[in-house]
Amino acid sequence: MKKILFFLLFLVVSTFDAVKAADYRVKSFGARADGIYVNTAILQHAIDYVSQQGGGRLVFDSGIYVTGSLYLKSGVTLHLEKGAVLAGSIQPFDYVRDSLIGWTSLLFAYRQHDIGISGEGMIDGRGFEIANRVIDYIHSGLISDQLKNDRPNETMRPQNLYFRECTQVHIQGITLKDPGSWNETYDQCKNLLVENIRVDSKSYWNNDGIDVVDCDSVVIRNSYFDAADDGICFKSHDFTKICQNVVVDNCTIRSSANGLKFGTVSRGGFKNFKVTNLHVFDTYRSAITFAAVDGAEIENIEVDGLKAIHTGNVIYLRIGDRWSGGKKPIMKNIRISNVYAEVPASKPDSGYNYEGPVEDLPRNISPASIVGMPQYLIQDVYLTNIEMVYPGGGNPYYAKRGTTDAELDSVPLMADKYPEFSQFKELPAWGVYVRYAQGIHFENVRLTAKQRDYRPAVVLDYVTNAMVKGLSFNEPDSKKKKQLFIHQSKYIKK
Amino acid sequence: MKRFFTTFGLLLGFCSPFLAISKDYQASLFGIKSNGSTLNTKAIQKAIDYIHDQGGGRLVFYVGRYLTGSIQLKSNVTLKLHEGAVLVGATSVYDYMANGQPQALIHAEGQENIGISGLGVIEGNGRYLLDAIHDQQEKGFLTKESPTIPGLLDFRQCKGIQVDSVNFWGAAGKVQVYSACKQVRITRIAVISKISTGNTGLIFSNCSAVSLTDSYVETSGKPFLDEGNNVDMEVKHTSDAKGIPIF
Repeated sequence: MKKILFFLLFLVVSTFDAVKAADYRVKSFGARADGIYVNTAILQHAIDYVSQQGGGRLVFDSGIYVTGSLYLKSGVTLHLEKGAVLAGSIQPFDYVRDSLIGWTSLLFAYRQHDIGISGEGMIDGRGFEIANRVIDYIHSGLISDQLKNDRPNETMRPQNLYFRECTQVHIQGITLKDPGSWNETYDQCKNLLVENIRVDSKSYWNNDGIDVVDCDSVVIRNSYFDAADDGICFKSHDFTKICQNVVVDNCTIRSSANGLKFGTVSRGGFKNFKVTNLHVFDTYRSAITFAAVDGAEIENIEVDGLKAIHTGNVIYLRIGDRWSGGKKPIMKNIRISNVYAEVPASKPDSGYNYEGPVEDLPRNISPASIVGMPQYLIQDVYLTNIEMVYPGGGNPYYAKRGTTDAELDSVPLMADKYPEFSQFKELPAWGVYVRYAQGIHFENVRLTAKQRDYRPAVVLDYVTNAMVKGLSFNEPDSKKKKQLFIHQSKYIKK
Repeated sequence: MKRFFTTFGLLLGFCSPFLAISKDYQASLFGIKSNGSTLNTKAIQKAIDYIHDQGGGRLVFYVGRYLTGSIQLKSNVTLKLHEGAVLVGATSVYDYMANGQPQALIHAEGQENIGISGLGVIEGNGRYLLDAIHDQQEKGFLTKESPTIPGLLDFRQCKGIQVDSVNFWGAAGKVQVYSACKQVRITRIAVISKISTGNTGLIFSNCSAVSLTDSYVETSGKPFLDEGNNVDMEVKHTSDAKGIPIF
C-alpha cells in the first residue's frame, strides 16, 4: 500500500506541472482594493472572461477586496499576492445559498476543472460579523431560521469555499481565515492538492479547518490548521461515493474538536489513506477519530508519525449505526505507528475562541478507545511504537466504572449517538479501552500515568485475537495492580 | 376653496390604492448603508423583494448617500427618498449587469403600482460610468457591441407608476424610459443630465394615460421623446433649461 500511495502522491502532484498561463490583473477590470467596495459583479465578470479566454491567473495586488459569493470557472487560478485579502462582505444578502450544493459560500466551484487559488495572500470570511448579522436578520424576520442552539443553521452561514465535482484543484500557499461556517469543503472532487496553506478558523461555530467529502486522489501537505471545530475532516455524504487514495503529510492541527477525523457523516466510506508526520496540539477532543456511524467502509488506513501534545484524547475508533439505512459498516486494517502523546488533566483548548463544549461529566480522563458493535467488530488494528502519557488521578468517588462483569457490561452501546471519545462517560481504563473488536495488535506500547488511577491501564472487552507484544505500564504506587484487564475475550496472545 | 377640495379629492382618489398598502420600511432594517461607499445592490434588492412579498410598502431612505448597482423594482413597492437622500449609481458597468446586459439603475418589467417619491436625488455617476465602460471595451473585457448604456430609470409593461418630486442627475445613457406602460404619473421632478448626447430626458413609447406635470428637464440630448403609439398623454408646466415647454 505504501508504494501505491507514494505513486499516487507523485501522480497528483505531477499533474499540476506549471502550464504557463496568462496573467490578468483584477484591478484592470476595475476591482477596488479599498476594503469597502463590494466587488462581486466585477470579479465574477473577470473570472468568466479569463475562463472564456482559455484560462489563466487572476492576480490580486496587495489590498483588501471585499466580495460576495463568486463562482470559480475552469482554467482560472485566483492568485492572491502577499498582502492581498479577498474579504467576505459583511452583508448577508451579498451571498448565495447555492440550491444544488445546499450551502452558502464565498467561493463556489461546481463541475469545473483546473482551478486553484495560490499566492501568499488571504481569504478572510469575516465569519463572526456575518454570522451575527444573519442572527439580526433572523430576529427581524428578514431571514427565517429556527436558530437551533441559538445560532443560524450552518448552511446559511458562508464557508470560505465550497468546490463540488471539480477535477484538478490546486490550493497553494494562501491563508484562509474566519469563515462563517465550515471553512473549505471539497465535495466529490478528483485530484485535489492542498499545500502550504494556513488556516485560522475559530471565528464562529462549526468552523472546521478543511473538509474533504467523497474525494478521490487527494494530497494535503505542509499545512497548518487552527480550528474551532474539526481540523482535517474527511466525510462521506453519499452512500454510493467514497473518500479514497489520500495522503496527509507534515500537517499541524490545533482544534477545539478533533484533530484528524473521519466523519461524522460517514456513509460511503474511507479507503487507502496514508497520514504521516502529523502534529496535533491544544486539541479538545481526539487527535485522531475514525467514525463509521452511517454505514461507512473504512479500510487500509495508515497513520505513521503522530505527535499529540496537550490533547483531550489520542485515538478514537468507532463503529456505530446512526443513519446507515441498513448499510453494513466496516472498519479494518488500521495501522497506527510511531505515536507520542501527552494528555493533560485540564481542558486542553482553554482560552481559544469558541472553546469546545464541556460535556459527558462526571468523567475521569478518558482512555484511547476502540469501540465497535456486537454485530460489527472493528478488525485488524495495529498499534506499534506508541507512547501515551496520561495525567492519571482517576478518582472513583467522582466517577466510577469498575471491572466487575456488571460494571463492564454497563458501558452503553450508544450505537445511534453522535460519536465522541467521551460519549460513554466514565470508562474502566485509563490508557486504552477496546470493546467489540477482532485482531488487535499491540507492539511496543508504553502507557504512563503521572498519578495513581483507580482503573487498570488497558481493558479488552469482547475482543478476539489480540496480540500483545511489548505492552508496558508506568503508574505510581501500582505494584500489584493488574494493568491489562481482559474480559469476555479469547485468543489473546501475550 | 372648492377647487382645493376638488383637487384634493381627486388626488386622494388617485393615491388611494397606494395609501391602502403603504407600510414604511426603513433602509437600515436591511443593512443598507448611507455612507456612500458600501455597495448596497443586493441589500436594496433584498429589501424590494421582501416588501413586495409582504404585500407592498415604501422603502424609505433618509439623508445619506446610498451606493448601488442596478436594482429591479417590484409591484406595490415605492422608493421614498427623503430630502438629502441620494441613490448613487455604481461606477463599474458590471454592477449593472443582468443576464449579460447592462440595465438601467432602476428598472422594472411587468410590475404594478410602483413609484419613486421624495425630495432626494438619483445620481447616475454617468461621467465615471461611461469612462469605465470605454476602459473595459478598450481592454477587450467588455465586447464592443455591448449596446446598452445604463440610464437611470427603465420601466416596461408596468401599470400604475408614480414618480414624484425626485431629482435625476447625471445619467450615462437615457435618463428615463417608459415603454408600454399604463397610468404613468410624473410630477415635480427635476432632471439635470449633461454627460453625453445620449442623455435623452424622458422617452415614451406605446404608453397610455400618461401625465407629466410641473417638471424641469435639462439634458444634453433631447429633453423629451415621443417614440409613438402613446395615447392619452398630458404634459403640463414642464420646460427645459431655457423655459421652453418640452412638449
